[in-house]
Amino acid sequence: MPNLLEFSDAGRRDRALTPTLETPAPSPPAPLPQGERGGTLAPILLFQHVSKWYGPVIGINQVTLELRPGITGLVGHNGSGKSTLLRLAAGQMKPDIGSVKISGCDAWTAEAKRHIGYCPELDTFYEEMSGRRFVQTMARLCGYPRAEALRRTEETLTLVGMNDRAERRLAGYSKGMRQRIKLAQALLHDPELLLLDEPLSGIDPIGRRESIELFRELARRGKCLLISSHELEELEKLTDHVAIMAAGRIAAVGTLTQIRDLLDDHPLSIRIASDQNRVLAALLLDLDDVVGVDRSDGYLLVRAKNPRRFFQRFGELVLDRMIEIQHLETLDESTHDVLGYLLGGKAR
Amino acid sequence: MQLLHYRSWQGTFHSSWWAVWPIARVALGTLLRRKLFWTLYSFGLLLFLMFFFGAFLLAWAESQMAVSGPQLGKMGDPGRMMRGIRSALRILNGSQDTFQYFFAYQGGIVVVMLALAGSILIGNDFTFKSLVFYLAKPIGRWHYILGKCLAVAIVVQLMTTLPALVLYGQRAFDDWEYFWHVNYFIDNDTGKGPAGIVLLFGILGYGTMLSVFLSILLVATASWMRRTMPLIMVWMSLFFFLRLLANILVDGLRYNVRWRLLDLWNDLTLLGQGCLGYASDDISPKLHPEFWEAGLVLIGVSVVCLIYLNFRTRGVEIVR
Repeated sequence: MPNLLEFSDAGRRDRALTPTLETPAPSPPAPLPQGERGGTLAPILLFQHVSKWYGPVIGINQVTLELRPGITGLVGHNGSGKSTLLRLAAGQMKPDIGSVKISGCDAWTAEAKRHIGYCPELDTFYEEMSGRRFVQTMARLCGYPRAEALRRTEETLTLVGMNDRAERRLAGYSKGMRQRIKLAQALLHDPELLLLDEPLSGIDPIGRRESIELFRELARRGKCLLISSHELEELEKLTDHVAIMAAGRIAAVGTLTQIRDLLDDHPLSIRIASDQNRVLAALLLDLDDVVGVDRSDGYLLVRAKNPRRFFQRFGELVLDRMIEIQHLETLDESTHDVLGYLLGGKAR
Repeated sequence: MQLLHYRSWQGTFHSSWWAVWPIARVALGTLLRRKLFWTLYSFGLLLFLMFFFGAFLLAWAESQMAVSGPQLGKMGDPGRMMRGIRSALRILNGSQDTFQYFFAYQGGIVVVMLALAGSILIGNDFTFKSLVFYLAKPIGRWHYILGKCLAVAIVVQLMTTLPALVLYGQRAFDDWEYFWHVNYFIDNDTGKGPAGIVLLFGILGYGTMLSVFLSILLVATASWMRRTMPLIMVWMSLFFFLRLLANILVDGLRYNVRWRLLDLWNDLTLLGQGCLGYASDDISPKLHPEFWEAGLVLIGVSVVCLIYLNFRTRGVEIVR
């Protein structure tokens, strides 16, 4: 079991999620300024000390989480509890302990479900129905009268680019087309909270770009999106704000940079090129936070702990010594790398 | 991408109970696309036509008897012959017997149809986890269960109550006395049991009881077994092997007559006969439990099924 990174940043930043808080925070990140997410708003999704068992197996363990408008990626290994968390948030299951609230209502109530759009991972449904009929039925289940249900069906089908193919039977749909139909049924009622389980899986590159654009636009409009995905590169294009799950718990939550900063056991690797590589290497080795420096192919490969402090000192250093920096690149700050460090082994 | 510009919804949302009909409609639509359904439905229709035209056969036989009475008199007493024919064709005269036999035969076809259709109607929702889509919408699991039960009940009603009402209407149009006069058969010495409005309510009661019980049982067993073959085996056990066992225990080993309550089909028939106004002595087999005992068993089984469904739909997916 890797070390779980647990800290609380609730109330300190606008896009805050509050992860499990059982041990004192080892090194909480500095408060971030209020931003576009509107930190003073009440959370749309709120998990409070939630646990869920499947018989003797624990699916979710003491999870506390707050989600406000914006996009959050949900990542973790298979069996880490991502789907359970999404199902609990979607009101598909009740927690054994704790509570899950959507805009102040219990997640499994009809009132809460009016605020949720859920796009599950499964892609086998009523194969003999047409895409249009399926979405229309889902609109009726939302409680819309017939005329309004029809209008919303057409609009969401247009939105996801399926209007011209919606009369075909679902059995004849490709995986990408099924994803679009699932997305359409999730968007029907203009929900505040969108729970998307692998929404980009199977979609062609153009469709992906459109979907990513759509998700961003929804986030700009104040929607809260929780996206579970194994496609880490695609997820990075969407957001740098992630919740990492391991063994049924939230291992870490926040921006990738924040999480990376807390990984003291794994020094950040930085590739630097300057006009005085040899001098710079000597100076860097004198810094407390630098663990090692290698030279290769005209670059310095620096491994540094506490990246925030390192970059502050590094900036001061190059300005004092008038060193011209020609290239600066962090090598292992991607979701993939962070997830790998945090969970141990390979991230995917 | 052009984002959808939602027009804010100013109207009132329908209650979640309105979702029951779309759920039922989807299930029915799925079933009606199957050739198997139409094959079995045509069997049911043939049976209905037999009863429908059988009434004309009886009327024709009676008219022939009146015209050819003198000639037939050489062969025996015409009145006695007519009674013999009526006795042989009593299941076609529009009395309680007609509807008892009609429900029994049609019910058999319905049971076969439901065993074959259960997987399509309900089981697939659990196998393919489509239930997730329903329960992510602002409805509760009981709305889903009710929607599915409604779909099954409609199938049962289409196969039993609706054609039975047509048969009733046919008889009433033939002779309005049948509709107005409760003792029509007794007074005319043409049969037993009530006619008129009492019989009409009996038909509706029988059909309702059959559809309510079979729908709850099917939704519960199909959500348990999911696949067609296991579901057929469960229904075989419930309606065939339990019947066999009950007969062996009561008729063969002379156990208490209440052991016959194990036979769910007999319980349904017994209660249906109660609805149609059968006297206890007229019921076959002679050794049978009381109506209320059969009713209690059916209610008990339904409650168990509903408890199971409540449990089954609580956790939509289970980690394996």
